[in-house]
Amino acid sequence: MKVNSLHSPQQFLVGEHLGAGLSLKPEHLDDILVLPVKNSASDNNLWFEVHTENYFVAGGPRLAYLRAIRENYNISFHGVGGSLGADLKVMPAHTKRVKALIDEFQPSLVSEHAVWSKANGKYFADLMPLPRTQDALQSLINGIDCYQSGIGRSILIENPSNYLDFISDMDEPQFLVEAAKRSGCGLLIDINNLYISSKNTGVDALNYLKQIPAELVGEIHIAGHDPDPALGDSLLIDSHAAAVAPPVWDLLEEALNLFGHRPVLVERDANIPSFDELMNERKTAQHYLNQCQLQNNLSTLNKKVTN
Amino acid sequence: MSDSQYIEAFTKYLLSGDPSAIEVFCENPSDIKRLAIYRNGFYKGCVDALIANYPMCEKKMGNNNFKKIAKAYVDRFPPEHGTLVGYGLDFPSFITDFINKIKLEEEEPLQSSKSLINTLNLDLKLVDIARLDYTWLMSLMSGDSKETLTIEYVNELIGQEFELTELNVKLNDSVLLVEVSTEAFSEWISLKTNHNTVEKCSPTMNSVMFWRLQGAVQARLLSIAETKLMQSLQGEGSTLGKAFDAALTVDEEFEVSDAFTACLQNELLEISIN
Repeated sequence: MKVNSLHSPQQFLVGEHLGAGLSLKPEHLDDILVLPVKNSASDNNLWFEVHTENYFVAGGPRLAYLRAIRENYNISFHGVGGSLGADLKVMPAHTKRVKALIDEFQPSLVSEHAVWSKANGKYFADLMPLPRTQDALQSLINGIDCYQSGIGRSILIENPSNYLDFISDMDEPQFLVEAAKRSGCGLLIDINNLYISSKNTGVDALNYLKQIPAELVGEIHIAGHDPDPALGDSLLIDSHAAAVAPPVWDLLEEALNLFGHRPVLVERDANIPSFDELMNERKTAQHYLNQCQLQNNLSTLNKKVTN
Repeated sequence: MSDSQYIEAFTKYLLSGDPSAIEVFCENPSDIKRLAIYRNGFYKGCVDALIANYPMCEKKMGNNNFKKIAKAYVDRFPPEHGTLVGYGLDFPSFITDFINKIKLEEEEPLQSSKSLINTLNLDLKLVDIARLDYTWLMSLMSGDSKETLTIEYVNELIGQEFELTELNVKLNDSVLLVEVSTEAFSEWISLKTNHNTVEKCSPTMNSVMFWRLQGAVQARLLSIAETKLMQSLQGEGSTLGKAFDAALTVDEEFEVSDAFTACLQNELLEISIN
């Protein structure tokens, strides 16, 4: 069953009220639970994102903590094991579990990756790249359809980090936009991934962003990266183990100028700093969002004055 | 070339490290070495999951040694589902096979293979430690109890003059039993609590019970009678009377009321509909 006809593009802007969010890490659970509750509303809508598959458990403290956090904060489910690009026969069992979590936690956003990770009954536990061919595009669209049908709502798909180019029929913005338009999903633009791809494969990051229709964008990710231990800065790795780099902040500003106010997530998955340190990074992200909001408001005001 | 041929070639590379099949799909063959990022990411994800799921096993072996055997496990049993939560179900039996294989090789006069068991810090106690790690994890992630038998409810039943021995009960999902050597359990506890001394346990105890109480997993050795009691209450459960009778058949001095009170205090029991 295709769900694209059920969802208008505006569906992806359901998270528009969200401000800057953070990856939810087990190390920070107690810090979050002692935050004043008013923080959620007054601190520019702090929210948290989790990797959906980490909550494929029957019960216990992991779910209990998530329930406690959900009481005061919006959350987003970010899938890493859906394998939208390949091996759809195992998708229903996967989405059944995702749907159960969605039904309970009612996340503001649900996202996945435009990659593959499963084949021949094996799960390769990483985000494997798709060639940007018509054939792979159709597989991805089928995967998104299957996923969206399984969970009963539309999702956002994330652009991958690229380390090398595969023989392709189209560039990545074309590939993702086509997948979104034909499947009814939206896009999650990972600015760090884009920056990494630009350095590793020479893609023009700004031109890339300009090719993405703003109305398709439902969320933005930023994160840190590291140089390859052997090749240095000529090959950047999407480690999520460092602070967000200055050029990524710059690119975020460009993206917000193009797309307008969107939920921005500061991702961190390794080398986890203190919660305060991560909140400071989040504060910077919120500053960019506030600037973007101010510009939007001024622009609206100007239009009213002109009319 | 089709998408399925690409996935097949990439899969072959991930499983073997041989890039020859995927090379034709690369725009620039000189970048082929960069494919290693994906393969390394796959192994790292799986090995890190095994470290997380077998923490005491890793502590006993040391990180480098554990990673070697974990990587071999990933080769033999790659994950099958789109999550690494609970990955490594077959790891204890894999260690058993691994040790037995090396022991067979030891029978040959090869000094290098002889030293492998010592080098990797492998012994059969490690298998039990792995089983304890995994059972602890399963207890942690098990379903929450819905109909816990509480002291208050039991008091209410007593007040109604209900015959408690007729009450149908079962263990909640977090209560798991595992049979391991007492030495392994003692070592597992000392690894977990960072105590250097391994306490000696009574040889009459042979089962370890894990259960979750207020979000934290607990563990203790059971006597033979306690084991009988818990085994009677597994699955669909039984009446309290039958369960206690099972314990009394192996130890006629078994203190039924003490055991029942401990079960209630530790929230082990659920009311069984059957």
